[in-house]
Amino acid sequence: MLDMMLKFFVALGAQTGLAGIWWGNVVMIAIGIGMILLAVIKKYEPLLLVGIGFSCIISNVPGSDLILPGGLFNYAYRGVELLILPPLIFFGVGAMTDFGPMMANPKLVVLGAAAHLGIFVSLIGAKLLGFSIWESGAIGIIGGADGPMAIFMAVKLAPKLLPQISVAAYSYMALMPLIQPPVMKLLTTKEERMIRMKQMRTVSRVERIAFPIVIGIIVNLLLPPVAPLITMLMLGNLFKEVLVTDRLAKTAANEVMNVVIVILTIAIGSTMQASRFLTPSTIEVVILGLIAFLFGTGSGVIGAQIMNMFLRDKINPLLGSAGIASVPIAARVAHNVALQDDPDNFLIYHAMGPNLAGVFGTALSGGIMLALLQ
Amino acid sequence: MNKDTVAFAIILSLIDFILSIVMISGIGLILTWLPLLNRLGKLDDETIRGGH
Repeated sequence: MLDMMLKFFVALGAQTGLAGIWWGNVVMIAIGIGMILLAVIKKYEPLLLVGIGFSCIISNVPGSDLILPGGLFNYAYRGVELLILPPLIFFGVGAMTDFGPMMANPKLVVLGAAAHLGIFVSLIGAKLLGFSIWESGAIGIIGGADGPMAIFMAVKLAPKLLPQISVAAYSYMALMPLIQPPVMKLLTTKEERMIRMKQMRTVSRVERIAFPIVIGIIVNLLLPPVAPLITMLMLGNLFKEVLVTDRLAKTAANEVMNVVIVILTIAIGSTMQASRFLTPSTIEVVILGLIAFLFGTGSGVIGAQIMNMFLRDKINPLLGSAGIASVPIAARVAHNVALQDDPDNFLIYHAMGPNLAGVFGTALSGGIMLALLQ
Repeated sequence: MNKDTVAFAIILSLIDFILSIVMISGIGLILTWLPLLNRLGKLDDETIRGGH
C-alpha cells in the first residue's frame, strides 16, 4: 500500500515542472523579479520592464505551457517573429511624435547619422569575438538605441540572439541618463555646453502633412528592407498631422500602442529562457551594446563639433549626443546636461531634431546593412 | 565572396556609415526645400478641424 502511494506521488511529481527545474531557472526568475523591482522602485521603463520581467519569470518555470507552441506567450512571440509588432510600435510612435523640430532645423539632421558610429564599432568588435557577420550586424544595431529596430534586425539577421539583443537595447535605453553624460562632458568644454541655440521657425501645416508622405515615398523607394517600420511611423504621423483623423491618431498613440507593448513585452520576456539566455554570448552582447552606446554618444558630439568648424551660428555640441535616437530620452539627457552649466539654456526642443533624425539614421544603417548582407 | 570575415565587417561598416550620412543629408536637403510648399497656399488648423 505504502509502496503504491510512493509510486503514485513520484509519478505525480514527474508530471509537474519540479522535475525539470535547474539553477538556471532560479537565476532567470531572480532576474525577472529584479526587472520588476527596478521598474517599481527606480521607475526605469516600467511599461516595458514589468511585462518583460513577469514573462521572464513564467517562462522559466519548468512545465509552463505558455511558451510551447499553442501557448499564449508563444503566439505573442510569433508576432515578433513575423515582424508584425515592431511596425505597429512605430505606428503608435508616429502618432505621438511632433517632427516639427526636425523640419525646422534640417542641418541638424545629419547628426542622426553621425551618432551611429557605435553601431559599426560594435559590429566589428562582435566579428572579432567570433560572431557571424549576420549576428554582428544585429548586435551592432543595439547602438542605434531604437528598440523596435533592434528587434527587427535581430529577427532578420540573428533570431537566436533576439532575447540578448532586445534586453540589451531596452536596458541601455533606460540607462542612458547614466551612460551618456560622462562621455558628453569628457568631449566638450564648459563654453561649448553653454552655447545657446537660436529660436526655430514655425513649421506650417502644409509642411507637416507633406513630410510623412514624402518620407514614405523615399524610404519605400530607396530602402525597401526597412520600409515597413518607417512607413508605419509616417502613417501614424500623418493621422496626427492632418487634424481630421484625431480619433485614429489617438487610438494609435494610446490603445494600439498599449496593446502592442503588452504583447511585445510578453514576447521578449518569453525568449529569456535560462537555456537560451545564460550563455557566454549574452555577456558579450551586453558589453558590445554598452560600447556601441558610448561610441555613438561620442561620435554624435564630435560630429556636432566638426559641423561647428563650418557653421557661422555655432550649435551646442551636446545636441550631437541626441542623434543616437531613443526618442525622447537622449534629447532629455542633452537638455539636462546643458542645464547643469546654464540653468536658462533650454535645449530640449532643439535636441528633438537630431533625436528624431536618429530614428531615420538607425533605419538607414539597418536598411543598408540588410541590403548588403542578404 | 565570403562575407563572414573581419575584412568584410570593416568594409560593410565603412560603406554603411558613409551611405547613411549621404542619405540622411539627402533627407535634410529635402526638408530644406519643404517650405517651398507654402507657396501653394496655407492650411488653417481651425478651418480643417471645423470642416470635419
